Amino acid sequence: MAFRGSDGALALPQPAALTAGLALLVQKLREVFRGAPTFSLCFLAIAVLCAIFAPLIAPFGPVATNPTNILQAPSVFSKHVLGTDNQGRDILSRLIYGAQTSVKIGVVAVLLAATVGTLIALVSGVFRGWVDRLLMRITDMFLALPYLMVALTAVALLGPSIPNVILVIGLLRWMGFARVLRSEVLKLVEMDFVRLALAAGSSRSRIMLKHVFPNIINTLLVLATLEVGLAVIVEASLSFLGLGVPRPTPSWGSMLRDSQQYIYIAWWFPLIPGIAITLLVMSANLTGDWLRDRFDPTRRQL
Amino acid sequence: MGRYIIKRLIEGVITLWLITLAVFFILRLGGGNPIEYMLPPEATRADIEKLTQAYGFDKPLLQQYWIFNQKLLRGNLGDALAWDKRPTVQVVWDRVPATLQLASAALLFAAIVGVSIGALAAARPDSLFDRAGRVMAITGQSMPVFWVGLLLILLFSVYLGWLPSAGGVDRLGPKGLIMPALSLGFFLMASYMRIVRSTMLDVLESDYIKMVRAKGLPTRLVLWKHAFKNAAIPVFTLFFVNFAALVSGAVVTETIFAWPGIGRLLVDSLIQRDYPTTQTVIFFAASFIVFINIVVDIMYAWLDPRIRVA
Repeated sequence: MAFRGSDGALALPQPAALTAGLALLVQKLREVFRGAPTFSLCFLAIAVLCAIFAPLIAPFGPVATNPTNILQAPSVFSKHVLGTDNQGRDILSRLIYGAQTSVKIGVVAVLLAATVGTLIALVSGVFRGWVDRLLMRITDMFLALPYLMVALTAVALLGPSIPNVILVIGLLRWMGFARVLRSEVLKLVEMDFVRLALAAGSSRSRIMLKHVFPNIINTLLVLATLEVGLAVIVEASLSFLGLGVPRPTPSWGSMLRDSQQYIYIAWWFPLIPGIAITLLVMSANLTGDWLRDRFDPTRRQL
Repeated sequence: MGRYIIKRLIEGVITLWLITLAVFFILRLGGGNPIEYMLPPEATRADIEKLTQAYGFDKPLLQQYWIFNQKLLRGNLGDALAWDKRPTVQVVWDRVPATLQLASAALLFAAIVGVSIGALAAARPDSLFDRAGRVMAITGQSMPVFWVGLLLILLFSVYLGWLPSAGGVDRLGPKGLIMPALSLGFFLMASYMRIVRSTMLDVLESDYIKMVRAKGLPTRLVLWKHAFKNAAIPVFTLFFVNFAALVSGAVVTETIFAWPGIGRLLVDSLIQRDYPTTQTVIFFAASFIVFINIVVDIMYAWLDPRIRVA
């Protein structure tokens, strides 16, 4: 915080003003994060930081094999704190690089799904009539698809790669957004301010973007946060079945796939990546629950 | 009521038809001639052409779709390329009982355990039991099905040595069902716990429960005879709503435990590039989900007449 004094020169704020400002900031932050799941937010932050700075944090390369050092058990005294896998790769490093895959897919796939779902909800709710009926039938059709089966098939045919996994998850998980947001839009378009805008001659696209969309952002945010966990699980499942992220790109799902054969001799190998997935999904879910309660305390459950 | 059922059935048929459209186009996602990547690389040009003609992939797309629909109406979804070359409908049909067996065992486990823990937790909110149950529910909903499976193998096969890690009911008897059903049911159990707890809490707050309590009925009777009956409705919904999740979970569970159901068939058919079988598995699973949804909607309309009008 820098103020310009009366003489126009840059003046440092007085210490008293600084502490007051700081106190205000702390108060504001407290206000924003009231009741927040501290652990979940911290874990999400750690996962994102790992994803961004993986090369700086990871002690070893993600694909650096070491045939003389395979399946070493975790130990704080060893170079490999979380042990090594069947090719002697450092599990901690692969975990950190794997965060990259999970976070990237979780975020981008959900963004894609949210965009598709929101567009369908807006068009459906504002235009109504046969447009609405058609779009809702299509939504029902997608809801009736066994999504993991379809995702597996689509990725197998398109070729396993991160962009394809994102595309497939994004295009198979938008229905929740479309359904929930549409009902919000239907309520909103009945409201006076939207009717007034219509009477004042606003076009439908303007109504969608300027009047309806800002009012569904809260719900959108909650749905998106809750959906991140599912996207992470779907990616892990695809990789676990060998049809997601191709090797040797580190992914928590494919680490678990590799671990399956060594489950009788290396307990840590199937354990550690699973804990990472569970914590990430749980953090996203709890953060979503918290956001929902913040925006709408009447929907609190558990 | 009759009119509502007819309306719902027509909607179901439309949804199914849209699904055939999706299933038809999914095979063409890879672009080009599907036969080329269905056959092994050493297949000759003549083989490819023969099969292309047999499957009609040389015709224009719209005509292909028309033929696909005609065959579908006669219950013909093509012959399997791998295994025994029988019609895929038969190949898939043979695997359905195994999946149903697994799914119902998982549902049963999830419903019994999830409902009792949820109801007991609601009886004493914020007790130690309730807190433990809540942590379990939240964790359970965040664990991927396949990891639960691996953990069960670690516990039962590696650590305790009680059960072998693979093998169906044929080889192991009912014991073979334990781990697959537990891993598939775990996620569902967590959602039952959450929903039963929250609806029971709502019900326990209601006036009629206060009334029976005031009459001096013992807590056990209040809980199971009066409160639980009313909390059972959302549980009943969840029983069916989760079917899509169950089918998806089955793919993973069946693969880990070498369970001979349609989920494993799907994964195998993808690995062997037997796409007619893939198509049929998806079509079967989707039809099943559509059917369940219609049944649920009709039952709901029967239970709650307000729905019929909406």
